[in-house]
Amino acid sequence: MMTGDEYRESLRDGRMSFLDGELIDDHATHPLLRAAVDGAAASYDRHFSDDAGARNPLYDIPKTAEDLEKRAELYHHLDMSAHVTGTALMALITVAPELGKVNPKYHERIQNFYNYCRDNDLRCAEVVTDAKGHRKQRPIEQDDPDQYVHVVSRSDEGIVIRGAKLHISAAPLVHEQVIIPTKGMRPGEEAYALCCSVPTNAPGVTIINTTYAPHGDDLRHFPVSGQSNTPEGFVVFDDVFVPAERVFLDGEVEYASSVARALGLWERVGSIMAGDGADRLVGTAQLFAEANGIAERKDVQTKLANLAIYATIVRSAWHAAQANSEVNADGALVPSPLYISAFRYFQANMRQEIQDLIHEIAGSLTVNAPTMADFEQPELQDGLRAALETPGFSAEDRLRMNHHLRDTTADAYGGWGDITSSLAGGGMAAQQVTVLGLYDMDRARTMARESMGLDSERDVHTAASSTTD
Amino acid sequence: MLTGDEYRASVRDGRTSFLSGERVDNASEHRLLGVSVDWVARTYDRLQGEGSSAQSPLFDAPTTPAELASQMELLTASDPTAAITAGCMSLSRVAPALALLNPDYAERLGRVLESVRQEDHRVAAAHTDLGAFGVVGRTADGVVVRGAKQHVLGAAVVHDLVVVPEGDLLEGQTDAAIAFMIPVNTPGVKIVSVTTAPLSEDDRHFPISREYSMADATVLFDDVVVPNERIFLDGETAEAGSLAKTFGLWERARGAADQADRAELLLGLAYTIADMNGLTDVAHIREKLSRLAVYANLCRAGWESALAHAQPASDGAMVPDESAVYAALAYGTDLYSRMVAIVHDVGGASTITAPTVADYENEATRGYVEKYMSTGNNVRGEDRMKVFHLIRDLTADRYSGWLKVTNQMLGGGVLAQQLAALDHYPLTHAQDSVRAAAHI
Repeated sequence: MMTGDEYRESLRDGRMSFLDGELIDDHATHPLLRAAVDGAAASYDRHFSDDAGARNPLYDIPKTAEDLEKRAELYHHLDMSAHVTGTALMALITVAPELGKVNPKYHERIQNFYNYCRDNDLRCAEVVTDAKGHRKQRPIEQDDPDQYVHVVSRSDEGIVIRGAKLHISAAPLVHEQVIIPTKGMRPGEEAYALCCSVPTNAPGVTIINTTYAPHGDDLRHFPVSGQSNTPEGFVVFDDVFVPAERVFLDGEVEYASSVARALGLWERVGSIMAGDGADRLVGTAQLFAEANGIAERKDVQTKLANLAIYATIVRSAWHAAQANSEVNADGALVPSPLYISAFRYFQANMRQEIQDLIHEIAGSLTVNAPTMADFEQPELQDGLRAALETPGFSAEDRLRMNHHLRDTTADAYGGWGDITSSLAGGGMAAQQVTVLGLYDMDRARTMARESMGLDSERDVHTAASSTTD
Repeated sequence: MLTGDEYRASVRDGRTSFLSGERVDNASEHRLLGVSVDWVARTYDRLQGEGSSAQSPLFDAPTTPAELASQMELLTASDPTAAITAGCMSLSRVAPALALLNPDYAERLGRVLESVRQEDHRVAAAHTDLGAFGVVGRTADGVVVRGAKQHVLGAAVVHDLVVVPEGDLLEGQTDAAIAFMIPVNTPGVKIVSVTTAPLSEDDRHFPISREYSMADATVLFDDVVVPNERIFLDGETAEAGSLAKTFGLWERARGAADQADRAELLLGLAYTIADMNGLTDVAHIREKLSRLAVYANLCRAGWESALAHAQPASDGAMVPDESAVYAALAYGTDLYSRMVAIVHDVGGASTITAPTVADYENEATRGYVEKYMSTGNNVRGEDRMKVFHLIRDLTADRYSGWLKVTNQMLGGGVLAQQLAALDHYPLTHAQDSVRAAAHI
């Protein structure tokens, strides 16, 4: 296993990674990336052991409901690089038996790759979304064939790939870029039916990063994003060689969607397991109601009730997903895709409304609160203390509360959260398609027919046939 | 009339102003507050060419619906301190009521407003209390006030503060029933600003907030001596609420007009990205665009209704219909977050992950950015990248968070906007409709 410091050192491997137009010399010391690296290093240190055979629990494959619950608990403390590692590897593990049917080598290579990452304590990015070009055109119809990552040449030793993948969370902080098809492919698109992994420092890999990490020296009014943040990578593969042992799908178009679906499922699962977010939001609203002296107001009570109902349904959906889990051919436990997708849609669809309720309770101080540096200014402290203190809440408490709410819901990090929460796992439309596909519509339809006293299906057909005759 | 440069010089007046714990002696040259100063200065320079030479057109009182529409165009094209200053001038409408309480009040109010007009000043409005606010001492020459006001937009970059009670007061709250106007450099006034001006040194990927950020402020009144001649309410609780309602009208009206423009911008952004992505004729995208179109239409309709039903106020000046203004604000703010979510859904994650202008300028990455931000031979990657910057800045970053929350809380929050719309609605007319329909 690696320590945090060994992890930091492992990133100094010549990777080509840019931020705001500059090549990053050292991610571990860069002012806008340091916190993200520190978070990843902390995940290493938290689980480090020098015992022989010790490994990060991140690599434990859940096989029972208890395992899944443990994994959910683990996710509460993971940084984004560990989080996406778990997602990428679980997606591969989930789909490995299916890929093994078309080519046993794929199954074997995935298992070897998984062991390699586990044994070397490596982090992996889930590298999914292609640049896509014109959205209505298939990969082979684009003006530029590189708009989807594809194979440009092959040899006995491996393949050469070209293209770009966008919105890759933690891309510059990991060791391996696990490339997964963005969607299903069709006959003729064999070059795009591609699943493989390449080291981040492989020749031809270039990462152009963005980050919501706050600028400035005083990060106290960014209490969350100043401490924990994640770069997003625009990852370019400019004729990158991939050795054969790292190729998990190459050309079998009918399996591209299987890999994409497995990744989408574990993305949704990951984002659910990571959050006690709904309960935290209810608590946030309650605290603001108390601090603002309006907790007993009727309209505020109504808002709090709506928040509590939301949180309760969120928790129920996770329990249902666990209760309806399935097991794949290798014995890995997979939460119910139906409940997970329905849950993700509900949560993303409600996000804005929930935030509106909290802002309505918290008021405009959310975005206007003076900074902690203002409060420390001797000329201002007494006045601010007198203005901000309310029963049960010191001035510092109220400043911290408002900075926290602004940082998480009304600033760059909040914006990142809004967008990633609605787009994770393929976006809202993908959740709808998944739910409709998995929902037991026949059962629902039969129930409706029975309750309405309609004829049986056969009788209807018979009647229609005789009418036609 | 002041020019932009004269305005810049005029705010170097020894005011006590802070940003992030540091004293700011010259907002004009401050990297972040300078964004707000520049915006106000641009308004000054633009108004130089409009109206008569004797007085800024900002102070013109519209007397016809056409003049009102023209005045609102002027205010929406200006920085927000212009609308707040115009709202302040409308306090003259309350003068007759104040005169009934104390003839001196009306006279003093008239003088301070005339001073603002003559000196072409800008005013910030301080109404929302942060903790207790009110009179703590008196002398023969004036009163001493102590406390704090929050959300005093533009306090760091204007000349005067108009201070009024937050709202209606109970009979015994006489110390809080205080209204006055003072220069921002009055001893004891301490301005604590926040701003949405980009913190990043390279702000080119913040196309709105780098030019249109107005510093907001908490203003502390640390035993500020207010001379009698600047006080136009002192102790009479009866008129306390009417002051904030009166001068807030123009701020609310500008809010409704801005909202209509912003709704159209949201639709335009979603359509532009959908077009660049080649998706404008796809069913689920059209459904989303249609919701934005309905929203943009109704926000516009709400504002145009406010103009169409404008009425002369007690002083003869035309004012937008309050019921329509509140209804438009309540409708627009209630749905705003959902509309933003649609823009995000159509735009996708590049909204927050598009490379920066600096990435585009770096030869090592420029080709990649152009190649992969493009969606085909007819769409330049650089153009698409800049549209994403605009969406992010307007809907998913620091500026947008401030904008969303302050608009939501304009007039006290969505519920307060709805209740105000109810209070201003001609309910008798609605009841008459029922009577007629029910043959009562």
